[in-house]
Amino acid sequence: MGQLDIKKVQKFFGNFEVLKGVDLEVKDGEFVVFVGPSGCGKSTLLRMIAGLEDTTQGDIVIDGARVNDLPPVKRGIAMVFQSYALYPHMTVFENIAFPLRVEGMEESRLRQKVEDAARILHLEQRLQQKPGLLSGGQRQRVAIGRAIVREPKIFLFDEPLSNLDAALRADMRIELAKLHKRLRATMIYVTHDQVEAMTMADRIVVMNAGGIAQTGAPLELYHKPANLFVAGFIGNPKMNFLPVTCISQGAEGVTVDYRGHRITVPVAGRPGLDGQPLTLGIRPEHIGMGGGDLSLTVTPTVIERLGAETIAYASLDGKAENFCATLSGSVGIQADQPLSIGIQAADCHLFDQEGEALERRVSLTELDQRSRQPAGLPV
Amino acid sequence: MKTSQMIARYKWYEIVGIYAGIFVFLSFVLAPFVEGFLVSLKPLGLLFSSPYRFWPENGSFRAYVTMWESVPGFGWYIFNSFFISSVVTVIVLVIVVPAAYAFARFEFRGSGVLLGAFLAVNMFSGAVLLIPLFRLMRNFGVLNTYFAMIVPGVAFLIPSAIWLLRTYMMRIPKELDEAAFVDGASYFYTLRRVILPIAMPGITVVAITTFIGAYAQQFIFALTFNSKTEYMPLPVGLFAYFGRQEVVWNELMAASFVGIAPAMILIFLMQRYLVAGLTAGAVKQ
Repeated sequence: MGQLDIKKVQKFFGNFEVLKGVDLEVKDGEFVVFVGPSGCGKSTLLRMIAGLEDTTQGDIVIDGARVNDLPPVKRGIAMVFQSYALYPHMTVFENIAFPLRVEGMEESRLRQKVEDAARILHLEQRLQQKPGLLSGGQRQRVAIGRAIVREPKIFLFDEPLSNLDAALRADMRIELAKLHKRLRATMIYVTHDQVEAMTMADRIVVMNAGGIAQTGAPLELYHKPANLFVAGFIGNPKMNFLPVTCISQGAEGVTVDYRGHRITVPVAGRPGLDGQPLTLGIRPEHIGMGGGDLSLTVTPTVIERLGAETIAYASLDGKAENFCATLSGSVGIQADQPLSIGIQAADCHLFDQEGEALERRVSLTELDQRSRQPAGLPV
Repeated sequence: MKTSQMIARYKWYEIVGIYAGIFVFLSFVLAPFVEGFLVSLKPLGLLFSSPYRFWPENGSFRAYVTMWESVPGFGWYIFNSFFISSVVTVIVLVIVVPAAYAFARFEFRGSGVLLGAFLAVNMFSGAVLLIPLFRLMRNFGVLNTYFAMIVPGVAFLIPSAIWLLRTYMMRIPKELDEAAFVDGASYFYTLRRVILPIAMPGITVVAITTFIGAYAQQFIFALTFNSKTEYMPLPVGLFAYFGRQEVVWNELMAASFVGIAPAMILIFLMQRYLVAGLTAGAVKQ
């Protein structure tokens, strides 16, 4: 079992409030990813779950027992660090065996366990080497091996892939997802890389400024971001935001005005919106060439051709922030030539003045199921 | 050096300048040693011949033989020096390793003040405190023992050793401690199994500097706190060559070189280990 409850957890460093009352439940066997910009408190929260930082206020409960005052080893957690934290003077075998040696496990069982872990992580050939001889990916696997041998209820990963190069990171992502399937343990994973979050998580916890901005399945966050922060954070390139004014609300949704263009966005309205300034969000990949429910003419200043797609950057209203559109790879556009783009109302998001989303009328039942089985992962 | 890197290429006059500089400084450092060695080769009668000659006439190694006869206890002095310095080094290491670990890793009230105080102690030379120390030793009744020469040595060498080792230990990533802590290791287990092996090059440096320090400073403590011939360390023992009538210069010089030899050999050996240790510990984090 590896059920984790975080109840109204607060953390102060001196007078600075790092975590502002976080509530979270993690079910047994779940793969939860904490994601957010640097300084949002995600690593602090992980270190508090681990027992490396004390909790100023609130409770951390693992399998029904409050663990606030327990040392890490008694909490049933194992942690994998960003810098791997391998002991450079010990062989791979001794590194993996370290927690068992601390426990004082007898030699034959210890050997058995280390070899099992090494087999899972494809490190059999490396057991007698020192970490200095290993590649980054192998070192990370040793660090994971050290966590596996303890058979913890909960695995904690602190940005474990951020020191690897892009290709290796993609491989390790797949390996970690496979490992999760195999061990069926609860895993909590901290990253600032939304690709890692989207690809591996059962559930993503988006954190911002010491609080949880939204919790949900990857595609839920993508299709139904609860606020401007999550909308801007999930998705790459990031969502475009246009200032609009609410004209009216009806059965089809909320009608807004953007510089004389009207569009009715299928979202749940709310009393008192009429006449209010709102923010219209549209993802770059949902922008097409011409047509659509809202047509705009923009002049791209920079065009990036990636082969599979073309990304056009333009500035709207002379603002520094770029308006961005992801178009098909072979689209015939040129920089500094006016371009007519179209937006479908069904793809749009609307946010009120506080930045809260008006709920989109999108069914997520199908999406939810797909997100539980990340596509393209060999099992 | 055809394959030297761009940054290591010098014009001919730069190379001449570099070697000239090295020569000037080395002559200051080494001239006394050379002169001392040449004196040890001269027969005593020719030492003050005029005009003075640097190069010994009728030079021989006789002084290296006669020195053992004129001061029979000389072997003991070497042993005492070695013994005192070794004991000081061992005690300092035993105390300083955990202390440096604590200063490097834990935040506790007064750690800054304590470190500052250690620096301040370093600024006093032992000589300033000789009189109070003497009274203290007399009250404890430990004058004329090894103890009297070892304890002040330890006390004055601990501060710089802590500073040195603390700096080294701060370079060891904190994640290693945290990883060990998460895996259930106690502080002492972590210190023994994780930190000590990684800090070995730093500990060697501390051991060498402490040993040299103890060797150098034992003169003043031995001179003040000890009057027993059998406990004399080498620097005090050398006074035995100062006769009532004359100083036996050639034997004194020979004795100095023989006396330094064991320490030199030891430091040479440790230095080789030190370089090996540094490269072995240089694992990318």
